[in-house]
Amino acid sequence: MTQHDDDQLDARLRAADPASSLPAADPAWVARLLEDTMSNDLLTESRENGTHNRSPLTWLVAAAAAVIIAGVGIFAVVNGQDAGEPAPPPQAADPTVTELTGPDQGALSARCMVPNADLLSDQPVAFDGTVASISDGLVTLDVTHWYAGDPTDLVTVEAPSAQIQKLLAAVQFKDGGRYLVAANESGELLVCGFSAPYTQGLASLYDQAFPS
Amino acid sequence: MRSVSIDERQARFEELAPGLIEPLRRYLARRTDPVTADDVLADTMLVCWRRLDDVPDEALPWAYGVARNCLANVERGGRRQQRLAAKIAVVDPPVESTPGPGERDGALAEALDALRTEDAELLRLWAWEQLAPGEIATVLGITANAASIRVHRAREKLREQLRKVEAPAGHEESREGRNR
Repeated sequence: MTQHDDDQLDARLRAADPASSLPAADPAWVARLLEDTMSNDLLTESRENGTHNRSPLTWLVAAAAAVIIAGVGIFAVVNGQDAGEPAPPPQAADPTVTELTGPDQGALSARCMVPNADLLSDQPVAFDGTVASISDGLVTLDVTHWYAGDPTDLVTVEAPSAQIQKLLAAVQFKDGGRYLVAANESGELLVCGFSAPYTQGLASLYDQAFPS
Repeated sequence: MRSVSIDERQARFEELAPGLIEPLRRYLARRTDPVTADDVLADTMLVCWRRLDDVPDEALPWAYGVARNCLANVERGGRRQQRLAAKIAVVDPPVESTPGPGERDGALAEALDALRTEDAELLRLWAWEQLAPGEIATVLGITANAASIRVHRAREKLREQLRKVEAPAGHEESREGRNR
């Protein structure tokens, strides 16, 4: 191989350098990088040694926190099951309207469990209805059958305008459509397939959850 | 570890580091995406700061070696995500990524890809970082002699690959029939 060949190959490789057009770093950025680097402790804490230096108090506080969290959780579960009379949904001044709201942001983006009669039967509000109107931020339904809750003629579902599109998508509310809808004690709609367009399958789930 | 005051340490690092940052930035820009490059540069500088007493007089090749390891660590972690991304990309292919500056030497890129990873890396260190075999040896943790031989062989292989890549593209094959 001649020197000429080598030089040619060198030149060709260098021409392909992807960093050849990389502009020089901003000096302020470099200064900040150096500063950040030097502000790091010289001792490293790793997974292996990272917890050795924690005081017993830290562990005590952590244990206490765990106990409190578990206690609150158990209290919530027990209370939820023992409530004989489900809390009535928030009522408007007009007794023939049940006001519900869309689920909060978290529920709309949360993962779903498969709809089941067990969970459904815990809900204080459940009905079979037809969408009468969809206006800005408000869906109104005519109820044909109440599975649970104090019967009213109409149900409104309110959602902040930013969330209404998501709500419509989650339940697929369409004007004139027939729906099975359930809501929790806070009057929040259950999504994730619990509240959905009427189907035989979903109707039998509601029948199972709320045997008449 | 030698005990030096924190001020002395900072002074030494401030003297050393600015000369490393620009070459390391380029090293990383050639081998990964900009976001990863910034992350790995910060990791690399942190290692240099913590191991300041180990940094040799010829600091740059040593620092390249550190950057190489830091990048390998990050890529090991990212490989699973990449596999997932590749699956998604098959379903929904992204717009062809923009090639580098100027006219991209597709044949060269293809030939480099066809080489073993180690051979391609030797050639990049040689041509792009413009390191001498002795310095390449420091980066890769091999002897200078081995680096020298491997660079030579890698060049041969690259030439070979280039011939293969470019042959079907209609170039008159003057070496046809020659025994290789």
